Amino acid sequence: QSDVLDVQHVKVQVIKAPSSGRGGPPGRGPKNKTQEKTDFPKSAHSGTKGASKSQPSRWMEKLNAEARAKEIAEVEELEKRLSQQVSQWASSTNSERLVVDSDANTCGDIQSSLRSYLEACVFAGDIERAHQFLLSQHRTMNRRKQLNIEMYNIMMRVWAKKVRLKKEAGLKPNLGSYCAALECMGRTPNCSPRVINRCLSQMEEDGLSVDDLFSQCVFRQDERDMLLRAVRTVQPDYQPKPNTTLTPCASPLVQDFYSQRADHQYPKLDFSQEELQERFKRQLSMEQACTVTIDSVEVAMPVTENMTKMRELLAEHRSQWQKTLLQALRESKMILAKTNTKDYRLNLYPYLCLLEDREYVDIMIQVIVSSLPPSGESLKILARDLGNRLYTKYCVQQKGRNQIVEKLSNIYNAYTDLLAKDTKVYDVLPREQWCQLETEHSSGPTLQGDETHWPYTVTVELGTYMVDLMVKNLKINSDILNPACDRKLIPILYHMYTFRSTRQVGFIKPHPILTQMLQEAMETKLTFDSYVIPMLCPPVPWISAKFGAYLLTPTKLMRAIDGATQHELLLEKCQNLHAVLDSLNQLGTCAWRINKPLLDIIISIFNDRGSDKLDIPPPMSEAPKIPHFNPQDPSYTSTEKAHMKREVIKAKKKCSEMHSLRMDALYKLSIANYMRDEIFWFPHNMDFRGRTYPCPPYFNHLGSDVTRAILVFAEGKPLGPKGLDWLKIHLVNLTGLKKRSSLQGRLEYANSIMEDILDSADNPLNGKKWWMNADEPWQALACCMEIANAVRSPDPTRFISHFPVHQDGSCNGLQHYAALGRDVIGATSVNLMPCDVPQDVYSGVAQQVEEFRARDAESGLKIAQVLEGFISRKVVKQTVMTVVYGVTRYGGRLQIEKRLKEIDEFPKEYVWDASHYLVRQVFTGLKEMFTGTREIQDWLTESARLISKSGRTVEWVTPLGLPIIQPYHRMSLVHSGGLDSVSTLSRSSQRPDTVKQKNAFPPNFIHSLDSTHMMLTALHCYSAGLTFVSVHDCFWTHALTVDTMNKVCREQFVALHSQPILQELSNFLLHKYCTGLIEVIKCTRFYSTCLWH
Amino acid sequence: MSTTVCRLVVLAMRSACCHTRGTRVCLRQAVFAPAGPQGSCAPGAPAPQRRAYSLDSLSSGPGRPTLGHISQQPRGERTSPSSALTHRNLSAVAVQGQRRPLCRYDFLDLGEVEENVRQAQACKKVRHFIVDPSLAQVVTQHLGPDLEDSKAAIFECNPGPGVLTRTLLNAGAQRVVALEGDKNFIKDLQELEGRLDGQLEVVHCDYFKLDPLGSGQLKPPVMYSDKLFTDLGISETSWTDDIPVKVVGIAPQRNERSMLLKMVYALFERLSVYRYGRVELNLFISEKEYLKLVARPGNMMHYRAFSVLWQMACDIELLHKEPWESFVVSSRQGVPVSKGKLPNDHLCLVRLRPRADLFSSGLTPSNASTLMLMVKQCLAKRKVKLIDRLNLWSPDSGGKLLSEMGMPEDILTGHVYPEEYRQLFQLMEKSQEFTQSWLYEEILENTQREGWA
Repeated sequence: QSDVLDVQHVKVQVIKAPSSGRGGPPGRGPKNKTQEKTDFPKSAHSGTKGASKSQPSRWMEKLNAEARAKEIAEVEELEKRLSQQVSQWASSTNSERLVVDSDANTCGDIQSSLRSYLEACVFAGDIERAHQFLLSQHRTMNRRKQLNIEMYNIMMRVWAKKVRLKKEAGLKPNLGSYCAALECMGRTPNCSPRVINRCLSQMEEDGLSVDDLFSQCVFRQDERDMLLRAVRTVQPDYQPKPNTTLTPCASPLVQDFYSQRADHQYPKLDFSQEELQERFKRQLSMEQACTVTIDSVEVAMPVTENMTKMRELLAEHRSQWQKTLLQALRESKMILAKTNTKDYRLNLYPYLCLLEDREYVDIMIQVIVSSLPPSGESLKILARDLGNRLYTKYCVQQKGRNQIVEKLSNIYNAYTDLLAKDTKVYDVLPREQWCQLETEHSSGPTLQGDETHWPYTVTVELGTYMVDLMVKNLKINSDILNPACDRKLIPILYHMYTFRSTRQVGFIKPHPILTQMLQEAMETKLTFDSYVIPMLCPPVPWISAKFGAYLLTPTKLMRAIDGATQHELLLEKCQNLHAVLDSLNQLGTCAWRINKPLLDIIISIFNDRGSDKLDIPPPMSEAPKIPHFNPQDPSYTSTEKAHMKREVIKAKKKCSEMHSLRMDALYKLSIANYMRDEIFWFPHNMDFRGRTYPCPPYFNHLGSDVTRAILVFAEGKPLGPKGLDWLKIHLVNLTGLKKRSSLQGRLEYANSIMEDILDSADNPLNGKKWWMNADEPWQALACCMEIANAVRSPDPTRFISHFPVHQDGSCNGLQHYAALGRDVIGATSVNLMPCDVPQDVYSGVAQQVEEFRARDAESGLKIAQVLEGFISRKVVKQTVMTVVYGVTRYGGRLQIEKRLKEIDEFPKEYVWDASHYLVRQVFTGLKEMFTGTREIQDWLTESARLISKSGRTVEWVTPLGLPIIQPYHRMSLVHSGGLDSVSTLSRSSQRPDTVKQKNAFPPNFIHSLDSTHMMLTALHCYSAGLTFVSVHDCFWTHALTVDTMNKVCREQFVALHSQPILQELSNFLLHKYCTGLIEVIKCTRFYSTCLWH
Repeated sequence: MSTTVCRLVVLAMRSACCHTRGTRVCLRQAVFAPAGPQGSCAPGAPAPQRRAYSLDSLSSGPGRPTLGHISQQPRGERTSPSSALTHRNLSAVAVQGQRRPLCRYDFLDLGEVEENVRQAQACKKVRHFIVDPSLAQVVTQHLGPDLEDSKAAIFECNPGPGVLTRTLLNAGAQRVVALEGDKNFIKDLQELEGRLDGQLEVVHCDYFKLDPLGSGQLKPPVMYSDKLFTDLGISETSWTDDIPVKVVGIAPQRNERSMLLKMVYALFERLSVYRYGRVELNLFISEKEYLKLVARPGNMMHYRAFSVLWQMACDIELLHKEPWESFVVSSRQGVPVSKGKLPNDHLCLVRLRPRADLFSSGLTPSNASTLMLMVKQCLAKRKVKLIDRLNLWSPDSGGKLLSEMGMPEDILTGHVYPEEYRQLFQLMEKSQEFTQSWLYEEILENTQREGWA
């Protein structure tokens, strides 16, 4: 019966030779020992086998035949998906579902586990293990269901390399299978054209073309060339068609941007091509090393005797720990290696063979020395970080192995042509140029790697395994710091539990001795992962969801909650992300450098005693001493003891807060200091709503006032006629004063305090210290210095300024709501309508609330009377700002409570009542000002509620075509091994978390709009030759180009809101979720009345 | 003469109360109606409006209430002087005509069941109520046996329409404090309070929200226990003294577990109400929570730190099981759905009486937090070896400790009895090695939060 199946479905067959000829796997049974070549020794495979091609392995055939029937459906599904990719999903108007049904998705997780396991085996060179594993999966029916053609292809690829593959095996093959088969034929010298022809014709029968092979397969090493060789054996002048299917962007918002480029002038970087290539090399070598060790800024602090002693002690122990871990790892691996590999359960062993043992140990040591805070870290987070680090290293090495690095260098070098100043002017975007270059350099491996992302569970399990090793093996003598103690070998890491509400959380805590050693040694070297450091060369442009940003370090286009994968499927399906990718690329091309004078001032304060007022965290020596008391001491009363205890807890909490703040600042400043003479770039990616973020985590322009102040554009531009004025206005904006003055008013104010400004610039720490009282003191100081330099230059209009000037959206969320709802009053208050003076919605709301209060006070409400004179812009600001982002009364009350507590004069006993009262008034006030807003919010919430109630996840598409899915799902628990199997992972299931889906939809939708607006602005600024970066709704550019940027910003806002955004959302939702759901239709009807009235 | 009659009737009545569940109270009332005005049989000094009722001062002291009853003593119908206290000063009130006189022979009307149900269901929060008079009777019996002789005050948590309250008073409880968290019930309760003479005190307070961990101004029904106790004139007693307060009520379902944890935590540290002595809880808790509470070693699923601590601290007695349906609930959900493997068809009336010998042989309220830390760390997983956990505290000491305890080396944490944990702790207290360990100094995190699981 199986033979019948064979005839029907197997078009290509394979002879599967044993994967290791010499050893001759014993358990394979006699069936396949049919031919002489089964016993060929490994070395003999390299040649002379063209002749022996028939005789398919009966056994393999049989095995596969069994699977076929089951899998055909699945493979077809895969192929269907493949072909779907060609057609644009957005254009499809009927019931086609975007996300594969839920079943396939959970299955996807297992599949990717299996795939990564196989890949890991192959990478580690343990083909036998991979093979055995695949077989054991195959033998059991219910496990076999989880296999797919991709997994067989992995093995085929390997066999192809060894020229063992004679014909194709297995299931209904897809492109990858043919690719491997042909590659194998190409690799075989003198392969008979007849064989190749047969293969090609079978391919045709399957509806696949040779061109598809070249355009859609992912190649490693020289696979492509071998494939080409095979094809050319039969078609000598075959030339793969270049992949030129550049689909125009569908969104009307950017149609003109892509089609009419005549007057675009894309900016060039201020570097020669050679310089850029040089930078590329440095970045490449940094990423290849995966870690960077830099001097901490504390290096400047004087070294005490104790510090020297501690450093020696630490160094000594570190090398000892290294040895211990190395040994422990080897022993543990031996045990793992011996455990039955036929066992279907995933064994960590292959993952532990990916790198040198030494490298695993280094990763672990790095955790102890630098990433574990004294108060401990949750096991899950620690494990995830370790696992990710391992994955990154593995990816980088894999790229090296696949000969990608070389090709990348070639393409990048050619790519610099587009950016450098000494080359011709291009009218293409970076992404387009890169794609073009890839087509030109088509031979060799494909750059867009197909590396399987390790599923979250694998990452964490691997990390847990490593933590386990550390906890069990790392010891220290207990008398090392205090000789009075008994000498005992004690562990330096402890696995304990903390209890959070009703959950218990596994925690790893360092022994106080370790903490003390680390703190007292104040080591001057910091080791970071390479991606933490900004890039030394312009980032690789994003050309697809899988490729871009860093050179080798894998980066996700879209950040996500741990374990969520739904959005990846969506992105992969979505063919036209061009506009989104281009805007990310635009943000990434901005070059930066350090504002050195400011950095020096900050470091001097940092190394002195810090300053809470200026947001420079003080060193731990300034921390409160943890009071010591003996609970057994009978002289305390129980109230006193309780009090003391509370004090101890408070002090501990404070200390750990201070420590984390201090370390954060230390990292930021050290990185800045390391980059002080460099020019660098921040590659960008985005969150699931399309908000963009720079990838380096600590030091970037999104950070605090301090980090923003030490960053300036690398490129300088003259101030021009209005630049100086913009600098001054910018300064006033930074102070937080004059919120209700017109721009002219702010300028006049700046001019009236020029003396203070110059004094601040000249004597920042010893003068009148005007800058210290600004809202954003450090940026204000930097601005003072820039103004001082400009006014003192012979011609301020020609003064070259590197300074970024910010233009902040005035309550951006409300702006979008007001525009969506065509809310005139609301729009006026957030400056969407022309006005003489800038409107300030916060003051507006504060005023409104004050009116309510006065009325209530009149009528004798106690709390309203108490509040007299305390209602200010500041009190309501945060709540108003976050109302659009879905803050609840509860959260709003907490915000207001915080503000009220900051007011010293406000009677503390009324804080609760007052905040409760105020938040109610703020909500009422807003409702009166923004009528449309509330209605739109309600509509969105109701739609989301219905969608998630129906068991589906809320999805939509931004006007730029970015698909968005809300990643809120119920968590299901997955138990994992290691550490006494204590850790449980929560993995997101497919069931939506209704409450989150519903509450988050309005804010997420608005965020997706504001990110769209930012992207549009970025694109158009790029075409106008501007430097442009953004911090969400705050846009930065040179003083010279502020006016142009503002114009672009306004135009794009209008363009965006001229689109029928809500109409399209409604259509999308109806189309996707509905067909038949009366409620949603009702909602839509409501919507149409609400909007275009 | 009349007194004798009365006494006889009372005796008959008591036995009726005790032995016939489900007798309609109104019937009994009808029986006693003729005897109604005999409150006048209690002449004496005028009663103070509100007595400062101090347990310490029961026999003597300034807080002692009116002495009027002494004159009643010769009447000989009381078994103890304290019981006299409650009943003897009624006539004065009656004379004043402001209050309805009440004595043990005079029963309060429990109200129409339908009306009580309606009131209970009107409650906005999800709560369970005792409305069935027979159920109230059962609870009252369990609080007995001799309510009128007991020195302990009874705190009734969230009485709602007050069916249990009245039943308690009818059974002769000397001092009932109704702690009601919902304003809507307060009025009726206060009205009742006004009609009585000090046997009932009504406080707008939610017992289960006493002593919040956060800071800020407190608004009733949230309050600190010291305010509550001071206002009621109850002063601190020694741990080994008699039970000063019996609490009766239904644990709120919403945060049953974390509330129980918070209470046992307070118990060990003698904080909150336990400052005032061995407060006895008589709580209705859900069956599944009860089963966890009394889970024994070896039951790896349900034997948790929570069970160990309660079993260590208290004598736990299951007094009564009542199906969920017998309670009136102020929400549509009613009977909870049991998701776990444990049955959950009943609410269980459980008595948690703190052991008088809890704080002896080395355990004190100040080192109890370390004991709790130990128990919680050990039982986070039940299938780990105890020796590993102990070695974490002090390397190499685990074996020594276990052999001293006479336990096998490979015993799992889930197989150790609460009493053994306590002994273990006592040994640790004596051992130098342990007290030197930094873990010993660790303070349980999350004490800030209410949820203390």
